Amino acid sequence: MTEAQVPRRVGEVVESASDRFVAQCYTLYESPSLGAFVRAGSEGANGDGTPVYGVVYGVSTQSLDPGRPVIARGGDSASEDEVYDANPQLARLLCTRFEAVITGHSAGGSLKQYLPPLPPRIHSFVFECAGDEEREATRSLDFLGLLLGASPFGPGMADEVIAACLRRASAHQEDPRGFLVGAGKALAAYLSRDLTRLDAILRRLRP
Amino acid sequence: MGLDLARTVGQIDSLARRLHDRRDERSDRLARALATMAGADVGELRRKLESSLSRPFLCPGLVGGLAGRYSRAGLPPDFCVAATDGSHIDVDRHTPVKCYLINVGGCLLTYGSRPDARLFSEPVLYSEESDLYLGNPAPGSVEAVAVEGPMLGLKRAVEEIRALADLVEEAPPGMPVLALIDGSLVLWGLAGRGYQPFVRDRIIADGLLPALDRLHEASRSRPVALAAYVSLPQSTEVVNLLRLYLCLYDSETCSSHCNSHRSRQTPCDTVNELLDRHLFERLLEPGERSDTFLSQSSISREWYGQHRVHFFYVNTGREIGRVEVPGWVAGDEALVSLCHGLILDQCERGIGYPAAIAESHEQAVVTGADRLAFRQIVDEALEMNGLPVYTSEKARSKRTRWL
Repeated sequence: MTEAQVPRRVGEVVESASDRFVAQCYTLYESPSLGAFVRAGSEGANGDGTPVYGVVYGVSTQSLDPGRPVIARGGDSASEDEVYDANPQLARLLCTRFEAVITGHSAGGSLKQYLPPLPPRIHSFVFECAGDEEREATRSLDFLGLLLGASPFGPGMADEVIAACLRRASAHQEDPRGFLVGAGKALAAYLSRDLTRLDAILRRLRP
Repeated sequence: MGLDLARTVGQIDSLARRLHDRRDERSDRLARALATMAGADVGELRRKLESSLSRPFLCPGLVGGLAGRYSRAGLPPDFCVAATDGSHIDVDRHTPVKCYLINVGGCLLTYGSRPDARLFSEPVLYSEESDLYLGNPAPGSVEAVAVEGPMLGLKRAVEEIRALADLVEEAPPGMPVLALIDGSLVLWGLAGRGYQPFVRDRIIADGLLPALDRLHEASRSRPVALAAYVSLPQSTEVVNLLRLYLCLYDSETCSSHCNSHRSRQTPCDTVNELLDRHLFERLLEPGERSDTFLSQSSISREWYGQHRVHFFYVNTGREIGRVEVPGWVAGDEALVSLCHGLILDQCERGIGYPAAIAESHEQAVVTGADRLAFRQIVDEALEMNGLPVYTSEKARSKRTRWL
């Protein structure tokens, strides 16, 4: 594997449910992008044996303590970095989290694009997929059904996430255009009764 | 039915009306006190201080002047601010197990070219006999004092200073450090409670002083300014200096007519009900600090040695804060100046209150929910080990509140 293909460990699961999980990033603002494929857990000695795959559905940064609201501090600062330098504790008191919709899991050495029997455990390590792992996650487009049905932030957000996911995945394919055409056909099958929504997603896939 | 607020409101209104009616008179007395302060002959005040040792009120020592004003110095390019605070869960006599918990929280903030922050909280549960009672170490003595209530507060204060010394020793080498605690450097909890001398020995000589010595030792290799910050101080020590200066009577007459907080004679009754901060609100411009004074608290005077507590006031722009420093800081003009500048800077970063102390409080605080969870975990641990779990009928009655 080249360096770019090594999955990057980005955080840990802090909330978990059958269809989604929330992970807290180790470093402030260092979240995988919207639409990125992530994996919670690993097979073998370092994991619980059931890697769960998901697509990043939303990223948020807020106060670690819900009782302590963040206030504006930069009125006299020349740059945003200066605000953080003048208040070094902020990096320890803010946290970036991302929510992932579960799109599959690994079982018996192969990727299943349907929900796992159990969600990932709390504190499962979360990796941002790269290289072969990302290509494997998008080899079949069955995961689109789970993404289309997911609506934690409403259907508009689901469409944004699907488009972001496909744009991102196409860049790592040998035939990016062919991949997008295939994805468009798969979406057309799912959304044959909702052409407005189909059009909204396809417009977001155009280069 | 609890508090009858309708009846209480009337009493609060009457209090507010009374204060309003006396506003002009008080304002007039404050103006006279300030005029006295501005025109005081410090030499005469010093002589009076030396010859009036048994007044019914406490007068601080004069280190320099009385009404001096000092501007802030510039900040060093790189510096650290360390602070600690504590919280505790006291022994609960309604539970089946005797134990208490001290949670010390703190932070080490680094400013300048390599900004960084370290935050921590360290909860420690105490349940051994030697934790629950402070024994007299004298051979053959069986005396012991229970560590709960105010005594637990004293133990906690010592743990906070110990943790502060740890933090300062861990600070990046070479940088000046402001080491801050909330409140007073004087362990007031030891005063006037009739504790036996061994208690002061154990708390101050065995606990507090070694930690203060470590901080002093750290200041030999780099500038370390230890300070305690009091927000909205209620002290009347500088006011008492004016009271002494104005007093026309000898110590005996003074003691027979007046008490520690109020003068019943003229003209020293001018300063009745005034606080030090009332004077310095008028005297100091934002950013300025006052002269330094020497605390005459008996705890500090008799036990603190080289750490004897001094204090000055600072106008943070939002309030008058009281800053207490040990003798080795007060005696070093550069350290006082560093302390002054960094405390102002901390208040600016913390929007009125030192950011490092505020953060330490956040790390240390034990909330009501934490206390309930603690109690539940203790009960569960006892149950899992086959031990009886019970509470007093009084505690149960308060929880169930039958109709």
